[in-house]
Amino acid sequence: MSSRMVAFMSRKSESKTEIAAVPGQVQRLTVFGPPLLLEGEDAAAYDELLGRICAAVKPVDIIDEMFIADIAALEWEVLRWRRLKWSLMQEAGLKALENFLAGELEYDLYSERVADHLTEIFRDKVPGEGADFVKTLVRECVRNERDAVDKINEMLACINLNIHRIRHCARADKAKELVQEYVRGEREAVTLVNELLTDAGVSMDSFMTKVLGDKIDNIERIDRLAAIAETRRNAALREIDRRRAVLGEALRRSVQKIEDDNFADGELVLQLPPAEGQNAA
Amino acid sequence: MTSDRKIKANRANARASAGPKTAVGRARAAKNALRHALSLPVCSIPALSEQVEVLARKIAGPGANAETQELARRVAEAQIDLRRVRYARHQFLSDTLSKQYYDSLANIRMKEKVLDAILRRNPLDISMETLKFMTSTPQGPDKLATVLSGEAKKLLAMDRYERRALSRRKFAIRAFDEARARTATTAGKCHADLVKACGPAHG
Repeated sequence: MSSRMVAFMSRKSESKTEIAAVPGQVQRLTVFGPPLLLEGEDAAAYDELLGRICAAVKPVDIIDEMFIADIAALEWEVLRWRRLKWSLMQEAGLKALENFLAGELEYDLYSERVADHLTEIFRDKVPGEGADFVKTLVRECVRNERDAVDKINEMLACINLNIHRIRHCARADKAKELVQEYVRGEREAVTLVNELLTDAGVSMDSFMTKVLGDKIDNIERIDRLAAIAETRRNAALREIDRRRAVLGEALRRSVQKIEDDNFADGELVLQLPPAEGQNAA
Repeated sequence: MTSDRKIKANRANARASAGPKTAVGRARAAKNALRHALSLPVCSIPALSEQVEVLARKIAGPGANAETQELARRVAEAQIDLRRVRYARHQFLSDTLSKQYYDSLANIRMKEKVLDAILRRNPLDISMETLKFMTSTPQGPDKLATVLSGEAKKLLAMDRYERRALSRRKFAIRAFDEARARTATTAGKCHADLVKACGPAHG
């Protein structure tokens, strides 16, 4: 998930007092139905977004509230699609890196994992004194001693496995672990990955470019959904502006009419109540 | 190619058919064309109709005249319709996402082909990559993207309903606002006239 999006989802309100001033309004928005959240989305973050919009727009009637509920729902949708696009790209980029690493890792880097896999496989199958023998055999096999490799292969054949498959699994596991450490920013992993990338003459950007090419259909579809939600959200904002202008204009006209009528007759002053301390004429 | 004789016989048989006979069969056949029921007007659904009335009363406010009430009802109708469409789309997305083994049609077809190929030879020859492909389904963001892609047609249809409901609501609100502004102007004028008429008495 995008760090910016995560930050938004978990961000604490910077204007608590402003939001707290409109809980009634937010409460009233429930007449427009519960928030439509997908699994894993944060209801509290949605409420915060709704509160912020409510505080900013300051609805004057139920139709304004209707638009606010709309804006919040559409804004949430925009964030959802942006987040999805980002996650999709990142996940595919890291997968591409993992596949690259699985093909580039030197045996020394994952030989321990081969030993772990073999030990795990033979743990329950060879009891007693045989276990020690297998341990030694595994150590020799990991060191690529031919006899040991042949013996291990024979044993693995009984359970429809072979050493190549075990090495393949171990390499894939190591690559996965390395990517996780790289994402966490662990120095050793970052250095190793960067070295392997440089040696192969590629970079994360080249993986991301490939991912973009592979996922272009999905990304375009998500972009379209985000664009639709943005257009609808902006339309709702424009409608709020328009309503305020119309209602404001109507109010201005009626006030003007009252003033014009009264000033035209020069009677307004006469209709005003006398100031305190003065006697009526 | 079907012969003319066969076509005629099929048509004659179809005309002779009285359709489903049992109540259950009739009830099921009645729903044959039903997809999401979004084309039904909200007023034809009692529960939604009730919600429309409640919302219309809130929009019109107390002491509204007949015209304002009618316009408020149109706004409420469009709003409830909009909510219904959005809820249907959301429900559809949630239900599809909750399917544990959901996969794209293209992937399912590919898996069928691979499975067919595997069954023709010794199953133990499956490579790790193949095994992984056969046993995996999209998860996380990939799953949502797959759903959006696989169900694009349905989602697009629902989006059309949403767009129409939004458009209906926009124009209903504009008509309502205009009527309210007219009422306010008239009321302002009446008030001015009233003030004018009462003016000399104050003086």
